[in-house]
Amino acid sequence: MNPTTPFRVRVKFAKLESLRFIGHLDLQRLFERALSRTGLPLRYSQGFSPKIRLNIASALPLGFISCSEYLDFWLNTPVPDEDIDEALKGSLPQGIKVLELYEVSNKLPSLQESVLSSQFETAIPTIYAHCRLKDKLTDLFAQESIMVYRRKKTVDIKPMIEKLKLKTQNDSSVLFIQMSSTTQMNGRPDELLVLLGIDPADVLIERTNIIFSPDFQ
Amino acid sequence: MQKINKKQLEKILYHVEKPGRYVGGEYNMVLKNWDTHNIHITLAFPDIYDLGQANLGLSLIYEIINNQPDCLAERTFSPWHDMEKAMRDNNIPLFTLESKRAINEFDIFGITLPYESIYTNALNLLDLAQIPLRSAERGKHHPLIIAGGQACFNPEPMAPFIDAFAIGDGEELIIDIIKTWQDWKINDLSREALFTKLAQIPGIYVPSLYDAIYFEDGRLKEMRRKNKTIPQTVCKRIVSKLPKPLQKQLVPNVQIVHDRIPIEIMRGCTRGCRFCHAGFVNRPVRQRNVEEILEAIGTGIKATGYEELSLLSLSSSDHTQILETTKAVYEKYKESHLRVSLPSLRIASFSVDLMDELKELRPGGGFTIAPEAATDRMRAIINKPLDDEDLFTTVHTIFNHGWLNLKMYYMIGLPNEKMEDVEAILNTAKRVQQIGKQYHGHKVRIHVSVGTFIPKPHTPFQWFPVENPSTIQEKLDFLRDGMHRYKIKLSYNQPDSTLLESWLSRGDRRLANVIEQAWKNGAKFDAWDEGFKKECWQQAFEHENIDPFFYTFRERKTDEVFPWDHISSGVDKAYLLEDYKMSLQGETREDCRNGCFDCGILDCFALQRPKADLIYWGCP
Repeated sequence: MNPTTPFRVRVKFAKLESLRFIGHLDLQRLFERALSRTGLPLRYSQGFSPKIRLNIASALPLGFISCSEYLDFWLNTPVPDEDIDEALKGSLPQGIKVLELYEVSNKLPSLQESVLSSQFETAIPTIYAHCRLKDKLTDLFAQESIMVYRRKKTVDIKPMIEKLKLKTQNDSSVLFIQMSSTTQMNGRPDELLVLLGIDPADVLIERTNIIFSPDFQ
Repeated sequence: MQKINKKQLEKILYHVEKPGRYVGGEYNMVLKNWDTHNIHITLAFPDIYDLGQANLGLSLIYEIINNQPDCLAERTFSPWHDMEKAMRDNNIPLFTLESKRAINEFDIFGITLPYESIYTNALNLLDLAQIPLRSAERGKHHPLIIAGGQACFNPEPMAPFIDAFAIGDGEELIIDIIKTWQDWKINDLSREALFTKLAQIPGIYVPSLYDAIYFEDGRLKEMRRKNKTIPQTVCKRIVSKLPKPLQKQLVPNVQIVHDRIPIEIMRGCTRGCRFCHAGFVNRPVRQRNVEEILEAIGTGIKATGYEELSLLSLSSSDHTQILETTKAVYEKYKESHLRVSLPSLRIASFSVDLMDELKELRPGGGFTIAPEAATDRMRAIINKPLDDEDLFTTVHTIFNHGWLNLKMYYMIGLPNEKMEDVEAILNTAKRVQQIGKQYHGHKVRIHVSVGTFIPKPHTPFQWFPVENPSTIQEKLDFLRDGMHRYKIKLSYNQPDSTLLESWLSRGDRRLANVIEQAWKNGAKFDAWDEGFKKECWQQAFEHENIDPFFYTFRERKTDEVFPWDHISSGVDKAYLLEDYKMSLQGETREDCRNGCFDCGILDCFALQRPKADLIYWGCP
């Protein structure tokens, strides 16, 4: 039984380096253990096999890095933010960096429910300089729908693309993509790159921001 | 020397399944500065990360080496098929998870060989590392190739590939190997000089310094050492007292098997089950006391954040302080979320009491027992006596205490086994199921797991032939039909997949050609159900003109010289022979902690036995 009201802690973190090859479920496990190592008064789920209560905003595709991921976890008793920060720092593996940390109200909806869209950035390597990306993008958006193949069915990703900008300077260009990140409409920038003739393995895609619904604090 | 192009590596990682296997970066990983350490060692488990990272022995050696101020150890594993293909297509050699350096840059390449079906993977690792397979083809600029692990008690089938085998407990042996290598390096001597020096370390076997001489009929005549400065018989190493348990266990970022804290509470076993390789080669029994176990648990939880641990030994109920241990663990952790598993329990109500102590800490699931054989006659042959009434009483207690799932381990193909012995397995399972139903009705689940007996070197059964695969198949068919009728779950190995183990476990040096040829034919991941390709091996035997039956279906005469006789586990061959003869007469031998039967261990390691603290050793 957990009679007391828990304290909800929100962490903004970066996922970098080799951890970009760690998937979402593995990341959840990683946090369970890291939190367990902190020795903080963690809140566990109820039930037959209680687990540390934690909640990650949005699954980051395998291979991406990010400077804008969010995690909520709960404590049974309040602990000063500095102390939580200190404890987390010593318990996280290389590649996870805490950027911000603060207490939020229990009344707020869950992180996942609040996520609307994600912004991504990727530098296009010079090997693709000759590819006339601008023209390709124009052509692509001239189409009524942009179909991709996902798990044995085709999906139109055009409605998922919210913003797209190619910034070119000399030989190098950077692509900015904003796509919806809801369960029904989960945009994947790597699919878009493939359509542009770019092997996602050749680039490093970074999630730079998650856009939440207005009631997100 | 080939360097790893990290950009290229990241690119291929993007396209392979579970890339997290290949990138390291785990909490507690040790990444040392290359230039400030004078000896660089790679430790390899020749299967994928998901299986290998849980290996306790390798983790201990990793920690021991990295605790030395001048030594550096990193890890590598077998890449899965997709990754191997990508590496070969892009000419990326095998690399370590820590610094992503090619294995060829290291001074020592240590490979663990825990079982025989991993041999082709070991060759594949050498090949992926771009290192010549055979010791004779390598030079001073190649890493020294060392193998350790339980299969090394018969090193001969892998002899031409390995420079030196480490036999027995590796915790102290690895330090001797390192010191010897460092001395050799400073003095800049020949590779042969290193081999001779290594061969003088107790517990090290350098196969190139021994010749195998055969009779015309193919049997081994003798293993002849090439010079008198090296031992005729290499005796295994042991640690007098179990060394410090893992202080900083790596916490994998991807899910692996046995994803928990392993706490070794005892090494060795005094029971003397005649089929059991581990029981004979790991003598004497050395145990940790309650305080040490509790300390190890505390350290493990703090260092890893795991909430699950396993108390490991060959026979947990035989630990002299096991009840105190489970009580203390329960008292200390009842308020936490720790789950504790206690495998390898003896079939006795006492074991149920032990599990009861951990009731609120248990990771759910079922209770497991290992009767191994179902008739008194068979149990006498294998020396695992058990009274049926005791078995059923224990089963009553298990169900009475609330367990719904019961798993039972049995073996078939045991020496002189008759069909009625196999029928008895089914009958026992049926009766166990009935008992379960008395308590829980149809919620009861019985799971019978049947292994096929393979005679192992250094055991009293090393003289016996392997049973014919068609007879094995008949017995399996019988069990499958019978268990199916009563809705009892049955799992077993395909008879084919045990063939390989039966060829290799008692093989000699000539089998090295077969292993290499099988690997060339495409054999790898032989330990995987879908991995074993029988035709690769059959063609290899044909190619080398070697009869596999010579190794499997031939009953050895009592005066036969075995290919592993020059490797000593500390247990005398005469003792094993006596035990073999007892088994033929259906005579049992008592647990030796109740009285010494002079197996040879105490003579062999008399000087190592701690004077005080007799409790550590199980010998009387």
